[in-house]
Amino acid sequence: MKDFLLNRNMFTFGITPLIIIVIYFLNPFTFFVSGNELSFIFIIISCFTFEYFITKAKNGDEIFLRPIAGMEAMEEAVGRSTEMGKSVLFVPGISGLDQIDTISGLVILGYVSEMTAAYEADLHVPVAVPIVMETAKETCKEAYLRKGRPDLYNDDMVHYVTDDQFAYAAGVNGIMLRERPAAIFYQGKFYAESLILAETGNTIGAIQIAGTGSSSQIPFFVTACSYTLIGEEFYAASAYLSKKPTMIGSIKGQDYVKVFCMILIAFVVIVSFVNHFNLTDIDVSTIFRINIIE
Amino acid sequence: MKKQFAVILMIFMGFISLSGYFINNPTLRNFVDKDANQWYMIIAGFAAFLGVINLLQLHSKKIIYKKKNWQYSMLTLIGFLLMIFFGFIYNNTDSAIGAHLKNEESIFYWMFNYIYLPLASTMFALLAFFVASASYRAFKIRNFEATLLLISGVLLMLGRVPIGALIPWWAVVIMYVSLVFAIFASKIKDKKIFFISYLIINIFIIALIPFAINSLGIDLYTFLSIPLIQEWIFSVPATAGARAIMIGIALGTIAQSFRIITGRERSILGD
Repeated sequence: MKDFLLNRNMFTFGITPLIIIVIYFLNPFTFFVSGNELSFIFIIISCFTFEYFITKAKNGDEIFLRPIAGMEAMEEAVGRSTEMGKSVLFVPGISGLDQIDTISGLVILGYVSEMTAAYEADLHVPVAVPIVMETAKETCKEAYLRKGRPDLYNDDMVHYVTDDQFAYAAGVNGIMLRERPAAIFYQGKFYAESLILAETGNTIGAIQIAGTGSSSQIPFFVTACSYTLIGEEFYAASAYLSKKPTMIGSIKGQDYVKVFCMILIAFVVIVSFVNHFNLTDIDVSTIFRINIIE
Repeated sequence: MKKQFAVILMIFMGFISLSGYFINNPTLRNFVDKDANQWYMIIAGFAAFLGVINLLQLHSKKIIYKKKNWQYSMLTLIGFLLMIFFGFIYNNTDSAIGAHLKNEESIFYWMFNYIYLPLASTMFALLAFFVASASYRAFKIRNFEATLLLISGVLLMLGRVPIGALIPWWAVVIMYVSLVFAIFASKIKDKKIFFISYLIINIFIIALIPFAINSLGIDLYTFLSIPLIQEWIFSVPATAGARAIMIGIALGTIAQSFRIITGRERSILGD
């Protein structure tokens, strides 16, 4: 028992979150917001699970990551563009940096621009939000520098089009039809313009790889693009592409949190089933109550 | 040093923003809800100038060096300068500068209403045609999943239009039987047996259903009414699939945010 408690990992990842959760429930001096317990527990469990697997990966544990076709195809798409002597188009969506999708898209842009630097392919990044333009420029510049090809980078490869949704769609469509890129990446937050862009890309015969967290746009991308990173795959892309153990560890942690969610869903189903036959009278909604303050 | 400072700032702001939802401190909450957002808006507002400068630079270069398709750049610049001129400088109305943007007599208003809006609407209208072409490709029967998609798509479309409610129950039975036979069609070699069994099963089920409803009291209408089937597809399997994706997105967002807040994901800072 003593050894068990003294185990560093056990203390860090087992007891610490428990202590934090207990402190939150005790709520000394009303230091914490009451009513947010469920969100807090879930965030604490998720974070400590991620951290546990990151530590495991750092310590040299091998972590298997299933191959994701869309990510495997990224290099192939850039290679194809190089062979055909055509450019690569990267569309980071129409949202600002306050959206996690845009940030994820820019992270992927970093890897794509590394590939274009290595293959000496032309990269074209039309953006809809000026602040995203500045970040994308910096991301591309650093990627070209990392690959030892700063000479291939030019400021015009990332450029501002407009912040209006359909004007942006028209501008990007125009670029597609005039330049006829061989590979198109849609990585970011998309709205109604997703299908307009993806269908135009389809008509010019480009390899299209999409990734978005906008659940309503995923069906459109699935229909029109060669590959689509659906939901969590999109957020995992940066970890997958970086091949760093610390990043891959968090994906493994994410899978375990998913298992936890499945157990909770099964619990709710069983309780509802039992309630239906009047065997118990448990109100599940009180257990899973969320009271995010306005 | 510059990058390290950026990483430290990113981690600090990340933790502050997150703790705003759990720590009972109005100042912190106010900062997370209002101040931080306002800071972002101010920075984004200044960045708008960078966007405008970039647009002018890019298109001016294209025109000066007569790059490929430079004529389009000319149009862009003309449009840009015209809107600036009628928006900031020229005012043909009684209203003050700024207020004239909403005055129906101003040229800016006219340009916005009769040039910009129709163009934006045209782009939006294109969506209808793109939906049709995308649906055509998606509904092509290539494999089992595509077939399922086609079936659900047809049922949803029929259920959403008035004619769907007019389809009699026995036609729906024939549809069900046809679908089952379509799945097993490749397994049955003798076409004669196939068609005879198809016919017999159709007649048998159509005859059986009134008996099941009247004598046994089984409610089968839910399965035989196209609008009700449509409603069921929409609220059960479609919602289940969408929620599965939503849970995945939520977990992905938490994991990505965790990597950013703990400073492990630095590629956005060019690291």
